[in-house]
Amino acid sequence: MLSHMNDAASTDRQEALFNGALQLPEAQRAEYLKQAAGGDQALCERVTALLQAHGQSGAFLKETKTIVISPSPSPTEKAGDRIGRYKLLQIIGEGGCGVVYMAEQQEPVIRRVALKVIKLGMDTKAVVARFEAERQALAMMDHPNIAKVLDVGATETGRPFFVMELVRGIKITDYCDQNKLPTAERLELFILVCQAIQHAHQKGIIHRDIKPSNILVTLHDGVPVPKVIDFGIAKATQGRLTDQTLFTAFEQFIGTPAYMSPEQAEMSGLDIDTRCDVYALGVLLYELLTGQTPFDAHELVASGLDKMRQTIREREPDRPSTRLRTMINADLTATAERCRTDAPKLIHLLRGDIDWIVMKALEKDRTRRYEAASGLARDIQRYLRNEPVEARPPGGFYRFQKLVRRNKLAFAAVGAVLAALLLGLGASTFLLIQERKARNRADQAEKVQNTLRLQAERRSQLGEKVGLAALYVTQDKYEEAEHELDPVPISDLTNIVTTAFLFNVFVEKHARHGQWAQAIANLNKVITIVPNDFPAYPARALLFAQTDAKEAWQRDCEQMLRLFAETHDPVIATRIAEVSLILPSPDLDGPHTSKMVDIAMNADSPHKSWKDVYFIKALEEYRHGNFPDAVKWVQKVTPEKEHPNRNVAALTLLAMSQHRLGQVSEARATLSGATQTAGQTMATIEDGLGSEWGDWIITHLLMDEARQ
Amino acid sequence: MSEVTRILQSIEAGDNMAGGQLLPLVYEELRKLAASKMAHESPGQTLQPTALVHEAWLRLNANESEKWQGRAHFFGAAAEAMRRILIDNARRKRAARHGGGRPREDILEFDVAAPGPDDEILAVNDALGLLAELDKPKADLVKLHYFAGLTFEESADALGISVSTANRWWTFCRAWLFDQIRKNVIS
Repeated sequence: MLSHMNDAASTDRQEALFNGALQLPEAQRAEYLKQAAGGDQALCERVTALLQAHGQSGAFLKETKTIVISPSPSPTEKAGDRIGRYKLLQIIGEGGCGVVYMAEQQEPVIRRVALKVIKLGMDTKAVVARFEAERQALAMMDHPNIAKVLDVGATETGRPFFVMELVRGIKITDYCDQNKLPTAERLELFILVCQAIQHAHQKGIIHRDIKPSNILVTLHDGVPVPKVIDFGIAKATQGRLTDQTLFTAFEQFIGTPAYMSPEQAEMSGLDIDTRCDVYALGVLLYELLTGQTPFDAHELVASGLDKMRQTIREREPDRPSTRLRTMINADLTATAERCRTDAPKLIHLLRGDIDWIVMKALEKDRTRRYEAASGLARDIQRYLRNEPVEARPPGGFYRFQKLVRRNKLAFAAVGAVLAALLLGLGASTFLLIQERKARNRADQAEKVQNTLRLQAERRSQLGEKVGLAALYVTQDKYEEAEHELDPVPISDLTNIVTTAFLFNVFVEKHARHGQWAQAIANLNKVITIVPNDFPAYPARALLFAQTDAKEAWQRDCEQMLRLFAETHDPVIATRIAEVSLILPSPDLDGPHTSKMVDIAMNADSPHKSWKDVYFIKALEEYRHGNFPDAVKWVQKVTPEKEHPNRNVAALTLLAMSQHRLGQVSEARATLSGATQTAGQTMATIEDGLGSEWGDWIITHLLMDEARQ
Repeated sequence: MSEVTRILQSIEAGDNMAGGQLLPLVYEELRKLAASKMAHESPGQTLQPTALVHEAWLRLNANESEKWQGRAHFFGAAAEAMRRILIDNARRKRAARHGGGRPREDILEFDVAAPGPDDEILAVNDALGLLAELDKPKADLVKLHYFAGLTFEESADALGISVSTANRWWTFCRAWLFDQIRKNVIS
């Protein structure tokens, strides 16, 4: 408490000294503080502690990391629905942007498949691009131990999907335990997994979420076949992901702590290569052999994020044999039983080569891990064949021991000279291979680094542009803001919410001043970024109508009627109906539009839009040629002071209906009343139309039609 | 005249009580804004605090013909509201993670892009409470910059200090919070 009291008196003082000292080279700080504190020992110590904290704080609060945890999963399709020739049966998995269904293919053969489709609302360009990348990644792979892509396509609304082989199996760990597989058989199975991952690596794909639940074992004619599934967060090593930050963050937090490599735990997000899969394979092997992961998953999560990262990065796990020895007896016996052996034998089996192989895969420093999954597989094969494993430093005695064990008979006859010669040759070949591998890897690493650096730079430039534009907008400098974003290709923009918001601001700005073309151009961008942004469609359709682009208007209306055909929202229905009926068009006043009018009419009052409803009903009747009904409905519209445009529109529609009913003089009187009201109350483009520019356009279009 | 404008003008006119009325309104506006974004755009979409704060400002501002003088007060209230939303979110997620039940799924639930991992947010928030007792202006800077995502320029503007002071304060606060969180973890 006392130290807090001291703080209270002097945070300003501390801050002055702290920042003063920071300006100086470290060596001079102590002397500066001593003098500046003027003998106040406590102050001096406090600032020294803060300077130390500053030095150690690293990235603390420095960079913004985006965490995405999808709140409410909202798949559009449901069981029983059909996508193309596939009937959806049930959801079997869900990721950040896609949903996986078990589905039944109906032709040409009836079979069950897994179908992955982008979630509604996630079908932005960036996500579609990534989805496409995943599909391509999977399609590139052709390996008996990786789930195959069978088909690709798009739903009726254009969302891409792909169909994969449905893997019916159980987790590899469960399979091994349930069938009491001995260690050697577990290793054989594991080698197949390594080879599958190696295949992916050769195609430039990192899985990044290897864990038992992503490796299912199925039986083919009684032979167990492991299948690697869920390349959902897999990433192509070459080629960029448009929304990497989000995605990386997503993967890190949904990803599985117990299998996370130290470099993934760093969360720098950029520097991940195939060796993180090697690490996860090491964890999987550890679990297959001991029944436990190197670090307990529950402990990791419970310890909090920072502690978790520290553990993964710094703590050396027990060797597998040590882990077994330190287990309580009951656990140890159970583990041994699951491998169909007894505890002492199991420990003996793991001690030595297997310990080293596992520990080499789990090296904190990835340069000391196996270069590739294939290297890990080969070393296990060497172990199974009693050959010297790479995981152990090639000490003379060890290699000799192996050689003897492998060639028990031959050795009886071979002289010691020959053995020495063999050893010498082996060692130099080994060194040569090591060197070549190291060089290749360095070249590779440099290439990847360069690519990633360029991507990072590009992203931060884009981020700055968007940020700057947002800042300009808050300062009412709209032209500068627009200018800032103008040269950026839409497909490169990553921050969907902010950019869509900015473009919408530009739309408003232009539309309120009658700059229709510019407003349309910005709406095009909004629709590109967020293809199902509802308000953008009616706005653009109206602008098309205003600029005599009748075909484009009709196209947008048809698109709206299709996209939102299932809506029950009276606000949406009202907007769609009014925009679709505003110009005469035999194609648009059909049943689809009538349905929208009905939804609007049946909405519970007091709904926000109920005041517009009678006008829309009247407009519909007018378009259908039911002029008496049009008059009846339009007369129910109560004039409101705040909405001068609406009042004029209602009067105009009344005049039009009267004219059609042959009441020419009444129609004339009504129209001149409307024109007069318009002149008195409606805004002009010169003065700015304000937020009611949409109503203004509707009214103007009607008045034009009336004059004709 | 909107309620928010009226309150901002009262604050400008020296009514100290008015400040307390501003927060719930801004808080509500931010939630509404986020909810409408969630409804119309992408489910599962994360919202950037900065964008939300700015949009709330624009939306409320757009309805008024005269320029507001109360921008600084508004941003202050928005930063506090944003902090509460982020802390609520982090706590809710943490509770869900520890088996405390499913997160609610109504339309008002949304994800604001957090400035850091949940644990970091909660730890910073705890330490920030202490800093606020000792030195409110500096704690306010942390709220504006860290929780509401405002730039140093905007934060400085809202606090009525120079940009270079904001920078210096931030460096100091980072070290202060880091030190305090470290102490909290140890004790």
